[in-house]
Amino acid sequence: MTLDNVYLTIALSPLLGAIIAGFFGGMLGRKVTHTITIFGVLVSTVFSMYVFNIHVLEGGDIFNNNIYTWMQVGGLNLSVGFLVDNLTSVMLVVVSFVSLMVHIYTIGYMDKDEGYTKFFSYISLFTFAMFMLVMSNNFMQLFFGWEAVGLVSYLLIGFWHHKESAVEANLKAFLVNRVGDFGFLLGISLILMYFGSLDYIEVFSNLGAVEGVTILDGSLVITVICILLFVGAMGKSAQVPLHVWLPGSMEGPTPISALIHAATMVTAGIFMVSRMSPMFELSDVALTVVMVIGAITALFMGLLGIVQNDIKRVVAYSTLSQLGYMTVALGVSAYSVAIFHLMTHAFFKALLFLAAGSVIVAMHHEQDIRNMGGLYKKMPITYITSLVGTLALIGFPGFAGFYSKDMIIEAVHFSSLPYSDLVYYAVVAGVFITAFYSLRMFFIVFHGKSRVDSHTAGHIKESATSITFPLIALAIPSVIIGYITIEPMLFTGWLDNSITVSSRHSSMAELSYIFDSAASMIPHALLTVPFWMMVLGIATAWLFSLHKTEWADAIKNRFHRTYYVLDSLYGFDRFNEIVFVNGVKKLGLLLWKVSDMVIIDKIVVNGSAKFVGFIGSIIRPIQTGYVYHYAFFMIFSLLIILTWTLFSGNNPQLNVEF
Amino acid sequence: MTNNFSFEINSLLVALPEIFLLSSIVIVLIIDLFLTSKFRQATYYLTQLSLMVTGILSFNLIGHPETVIFSNSFILDNMASVFKVFITGSSMVAMVYTRHYLLQHSLYRGEYFVLVMLAVLGMMVMVSGYSMLTLYMGLEILSLSLYTLIAIARNRSIAVEAALKYFVLGAIASGLLLYGISMVYGISGSINISDISAFAHDPSINSRDTLILNFGLVFLVIGIAFKLGAVPFHMWVPDVYEGAPTSVTMFLSTVPKIAALAMLVRILVDGLGSMHDYWSDLFLALSLLSISVGSVVALMQTNIKRMLAYSTISHVGFIMLGFVTGVVSGYGAAIFYVLVYVLMSLAAFGVIIILNNKGYEADQISDYKGLSKNSPWFALVMLIVMLSMAGVPPFIGFYSKFSILQEVVSAGFITVAIIAVVFAVISAYYYLKIIKFMYFDESDKDETISAPMDIKLILSINGSLILVVGLFPDRLMNISMSLL
Amino acid sequence: MEFEQILFYLFSFWFIASSLAMILSRNTAFSALFLILSFFSAASLWLLLEAEFLAIILILVYVGAVMVLFLFVIKMLDIEDSTLRAKFTGYLPIGLGVAVIVIAEMSLVLGVDQFGLDVVPQPIRHASDYSNITELAMELYTIYVYPFELAAVLLLIAIIAAITLIHRPDKRAKKQSIEEQVNTQAKDRVRLVSIAPYKKKDEQ
Repeated sequence: MTLDNVYLTIALSPLLGAIIAGFFGGMLGRKVTHTITIFGVLVSTVFSMYVFNIHVLEGGDIFNNNIYTWMQVGGLNLSVGFLVDNLTSVMLVVVSFVSLMVHIYTIGYMDKDEGYTKFFSYISLFTFAMFMLVMSNNFMQLFFGWEAVGLVSYLLIGFWHHKESAVEANLKAFLVNRVGDFGFLLGISLILMYFGSLDYIEVFSNLGAVEGVTILDGSLVITVICILLFVGAMGKSAQVPLHVWLPGSMEGPTPISALIHAATMVTAGIFMVSRMSPMFELSDVALTVVMVIGAITALFMGLLGIVQNDIKRVVAYSTLSQLGYMTVALGVSAYSVAIFHLMTHAFFKALLFLAAGSVIVAMHHEQDIRNMGGLYKKMPITYITSLVGTLALIGFPGFAGFYSKDMIIEAVHFSSLPYSDLVYYAVVAGVFITAFYSLRMFFIVFHGKSRVDSHTAGHIKESATSITFPLIALAIPSVIIGYITIEPMLFTGWLDNSITVSSRHSSMAELSYIFDSAASMIPHALLTVPFWMMVLGIATAWLFSLHKTEWADAIKNRFHRTYYVLDSLYGFDRFNEIVFVNGVKKLGLLLWKVSDMVIIDKIVVNGSAKFVGFIGSIIRPIQTGYVYHYAFFMIFSLLIILTWTLFSGNNPQLNVEF
Repeated sequence: MTNNFSFEINSLLVALPEIFLLSSIVIVLIIDLFLTSKFRQATYYLTQLSLMVTGILSFNLIGHPETVIFSNSFILDNMASVFKVFITGSSMVAMVYTRHYLLQHSLYRGEYFVLVMLAVLGMMVMVSGYSMLTLYMGLEILSLSLYTLIAIARNRSIAVEAALKYFVLGAIASGLLLYGISMVYGISGSINISDISAFAHDPSINSRDTLILNFGLVFLVIGIAFKLGAVPFHMWVPDVYEGAPTSVTMFLSTVPKIAALAMLVRILVDGLGSMHDYWSDLFLALSLLSISVGSVVALMQTNIKRMLAYSTISHVGFIMLGFVTGVVSGYGAAIFYVLVYVLMSLAAFGVIIILNNKGYEADQISDYKGLSKNSPWFALVMLIVMLSMAGVPPFIGFYSKFSILQEVVSAGFITVAIIAVVFAVISAYYYLKIIKFMYFDESDKDETISAPMDIKLILSINGSLILVVGLFPDRLMNISMSLL
Repeated sequence: MEFEQILFYLFSFWFIASSLAMILSRNTAFSALFLILSFFSAASLWLLLEAEFLAIILILVYVGAVMVLFLFVIKMLDIEDSTLRAKFTGYLPIGLGVAVIVIAEMSLVLGVDQFGLDVVPQPIRHASDYSNITELAMELYTIYVYPFELAAVLLLIAIIAAITLIHRPDKRAKKQSIEEQVNTQAKDRVRLVSIAPYKKKDEQ
C-alpha cells in the first residue's frame, strides 16, 4: 500500500461508515451500525499510528501531493491533496484516538436515544471532515474541512431539536461562526490575490513577494492576512469575543461535547495558525493580537467557570480558558508548545467531558452540580478518572497538563512582544482560577454530603463498560503523555519540519536553554509561582466547597456586583442581543422598505415581469400552433439569415453597389 | 471502369455495433410477431439486451485507431465509440421508464421498442457518418422513427397533431439540409467529409467557391439547428414535447441531442472547420436567440413538458455557444454540456413519468405542489435536477455552464458570456418555482406515489450521479475534452 | 440552336408550367395530374442529360405507382377545396414576397455566372453503347453500399410505421377468449353495491 492510499484510507473509512450509517442505519439496526462506524474509525486510528510511526518516529519525508484535481480555473489549480508532515501526524493520532474513544462511549451514552444511528453517522462524518482539514495541502480544502466540521457541529448541537434551547444554541453557533468564517474567507481571498495560488507550499515559498507590500492605509499585507485568518480561528476556537457559542454548544449530547467542542474541532483554529506559522512569523502585530486575545480568553473565561453550576458548562468554560492558553502560546511563537498543549488537552478534556457524561447518565440527565455530591463511593471508576483529568487540567506536577501549561507560561515569560509581561500575569493568575473552579466542581460532585434526591439516589451506579472503557483509555495518556513527549516534541524537533519560528522570536530557544529533562521539572516546579498558585487554588476550592460552604454564599452576597458581572457572562450575550440582533432587525426593516419594496419589487420584479410579457408578446403570435405558420416562419428566418450572410455580418459575401 | 473497392469482412468489424443492432432489430421484430400476450414483456427485455450488447461492443471499440470504411462513408474514432456508448446507455435508461409509462397508459406494443432501436441505429449512423449522405440517412432513420413513436398514441389527437407537425416541419428542414448538401457537393465535387475538408482547407480556394460553400453552409446549419431545436427553428419543440407521450418526449429530448451534436462536429468541425469565421457568427446569433427565448418564454409556461421544452432550447443555446469559440476545448465543453444535459433531462422526465400515474397526468406544474410530503424521495431527485439545470454548484449543471462560459470568455466574447449569465439567472426562476411548489406549497391530493423498484433504482442512481459527477467533474470533463 | 436545346427549353417550359398549374389548380385531381405531367417533363430533362435509368425509374415509380395511388386517395377522400383555398389568397402577397427574395438571392449565388459553362466544364458525352445502368449498379453496390443498406432500413421503418399507425388489431377483431370464459367467477359478473337512500332536493 503506497502512502497516498494510506492517507486516503484514513480519511475515507470514516466517510464510508458515515454514509452507511446515514443511509442504511435504519435498515441495518443499531448494533451493525455502530460496529461499522467504529470499525471505520478503528482503521483510521491504526493507520494514523502507522503514519505517525513513519513520519515522526522514523523521520520520514514530508508527503505533499495532489490526489485529485478537482478543477482547473485559468492558472488556478483547485485540488484535493494531502500535506502530511509531523504536525499532521500528531493531529491524526489525536483526532482518531479521541474519536475512537467517543465512538465507543456513544454506545453507552446514546443507548436509549431515537437518533442512535444518525448520531453515529454524524460523528463519523465529523471525523472524516476533521481528517480532511488536518491533511489538507491547500487553503481550498482547508476551508472545505473547516466548513464541514462546522456543519456537523451545528447538526449535533441541535441534535435534540425538540429542545428549544438546543435550537437556539445551534443558531447562535452558526451565526457566530459565520462572522469568523467571513474573516477567514477574506484572508484566503487576499492570499489568492497576492500569491495567485492556494497551495500551502507555493504560498509559503513566495512569502518574500509581499514583504513590505501594504494595502489600505499602509498596513502590511501579511499583517492583514494573518489577522483575518486569525479571525477565522477565533470563531472556530472560541476566542473572545467570538466565544459565546461554545458554552451554548453544551446543549448537544455529551460525546460530541468531548469530541467536537473540546478535543478536536475547536482546536482547528490553533492547528491552522500553527500550520501558517511561516506567515504569522512575519508579522509581530498579528502575533501580539493573537497573544492578547488568547490571554483575555484564558483569564476571563476561567473566572466565569467559578460561578457556573452546570457540570458541562464548568468544563466548557475551562475549555475556553485552555484554548486561551494555546492561543497565547501561538502568540509568543511557541507553536510547538501550543500543539503540545492541544494534544494533552485533547486527552484530558475529552476525559473530563466523558466523565461528566458518565455522571450525567448516572444522575438521569441531571446536570446541576448543586444536586450532586458524595458520588465517589458509588462511581469509583468515574471518580478516579475524573481526578486524573482534573489534576491534568490544573497542571499538577507530573500530569500531562503540567508540562504543557508550564511550558506556555515559561514561553510567555521569555517573550519579547509588547504587553507580554501583562499577559504573563494573566496566565499565572489563570492557574489559580483553573485550580479553583476545577476542584470546586470536583469536590461538589464527588465529595461532601449527598444532595441527590432520594429517588435518584437509589439508582446511581457505575456506568456501563462502553462508558468506563474510554474513560480509562483516556486517563492513561492524560497522565503520561506529557512526560513522554515533552522533550521530543518541543526540543528535539518532532515538529521542526512543519513549523517555522523566526530568529527574532526567541521564546523557544530560551525554553530549550533552561529545559533539562521531564523528570527534573517536577522538583523544580515546587520553586515556581504557578505551582503555588495552583496549591492556593486547590486550598481555596476546598475551603469554599467542602469546609466552609457558607463562606461561599457570604462572599457571593458581599461582592454581589462582581457576582452579577460574572453570572451575566460579562454581558456579551446581552450586548449581542441588543446591538447585533436588534440592530440587524432594524437595519433589515429599513432595507426591506427601501430595497425590497422599491428596488426589487417595483423595478426588478415588476420590471422583469413586464420584460417577460414584452418578449412573450413577440413570441406568442409566432407560436400559434399552425404548422403552416411554423413553416413560413422557418422560411422567413432562412431568408433573413441568407440576406445577413450575403450582405452583412463580419464577412459579407457580395458587395452591393448601388 | 476500374474500381478500387475492396470488401474485407475484417474491415467491417469496426461497424460491429451497428451490424449487431440491425440484426437484433430484425430478430426482435420477428420474435415480437409470435409472442402471446403472456410473454409480451420479452420484447422489452430483448430490447434492453440488444442495446446493452451494442453498448458493450461500442465500448470495446474505444481506443481503436481511427478507421474509415465503406469507401470513406463510415468513420470509427473515439468520439464515435464514446458517443455510441452514451447513446445506448441513455436509451436503456429511457427504456426503463418507458416500459412503466407504456403499461400505465396501455400503449405497450412491440413496435415501440423496435422503433426505438431503429432510432438508436439512426443515431449511431449519424455519429459514425463520414459522408454527407450517410449523415443524412442516419438523420432520416432517426427522424422517421421519432415521428412514428410520437404518433403511436394515435387515440390522443394532440399526439397525432404533434407527430404531423414534426413530420411536416422536419421534412422542410431535411429539404433545406439536402439543398445545402447539394450545394457543397456541387462546388467541392464530393460528399465525403474528408474530401470536403481538403477542398475547404485548400489555400488556393477562390472566392466563388467560398461563396457557394458558405451559402450551402447556411442551409446545412439551418437543417441541424432545426433538429437541435435552436431559435428561430424551434417552434416544433414545445408542441411536440407537450403532445408526444411523455416516454417519447423523454427519449427525443435527450439521446438525439448527442447524435445531432456529433453531426455538427462532423460537418462543421471536421468538414468545414476552415470556414469557422463564416459560421461562427451565425452560431453566435442562433445561440443567443435560443438562450434568451428559451429562458424567458419558459417563465410563462404552466405545463411542465412545455417548460422543459423551452429549457431545452436554452440549453441548446449554451451547447451552440461552445462552437462559437472555434477552439477544440470549446467543442469539448459543448460535448460535456450535452452529456450533462442528457443526464439531467433523463432524471427530470423520469420524475414526470413516475408522477404520470393513471388518472393523474402530472404535466401541469401545479401538480407538483406538496410533492415533498407525499413522496420526499422523488421530490429530492427533482430538486437536484432543477438546481442542476439552473446551474447551482455543486451539481453537474453548474460545471457544464461554467466550462462553456469559461471557453467563451477566453475566446474573447465577454459580452456574450454576460448576456448568457443574465439569462441563466432568469431561467433559474422557473426551476426554483418548481422547487417552491414541491417544498412550500400544500398538496391538494394526498396519494403517495408508488413506482416499481427498477424505476426507483434507476432514478436514484441518476439523481445521485448529478451530484457525484458534480463533485468530481474532471473525469467526464476529460473524456469530453479528449474526443476531438 | 440545336435540336437538343429546343427540346430542353420545351421540356423546361412544360416542367415549370405544369408545376405552377399543380399549385394553382382548384381541383385536387387536376393538381395530381399536373404533377404527373411535371414528372414526365423532368424525366425528359434527365433523358437529355443521359440519365436514362433515373428517367425511367421516375416514370415507373412515381407516375406508375405513387401518383396512381395518390389519385385513388384523393378520389376516395373527396377533399373540399374551398376551405383550403380561403386562406391562400390572404397569405399570397407576403409568401410571394419572401419567395421572390429567396429566389433572387439564390440566383445571385447559384446563377449563370457561378455555374455557367464558362465556369463549369461541360459534361462528357458518352458513346451510344454506354450503359448507364451498369455504371449505376457498380457505384451503388460498391462505393455506396452503406447508404444503400441504410435506405433499406429507412424503408423498413416506413413499413413498420405504416403498420403501427394503421393496424388496429384489438378494436376491429372481436375474438372469443375461451380461457377467460372458463376462469370466470360469479363475482366477476355481478357486483353488489350498497347505495344509501336519498331524496332529491326539490322533493324535500
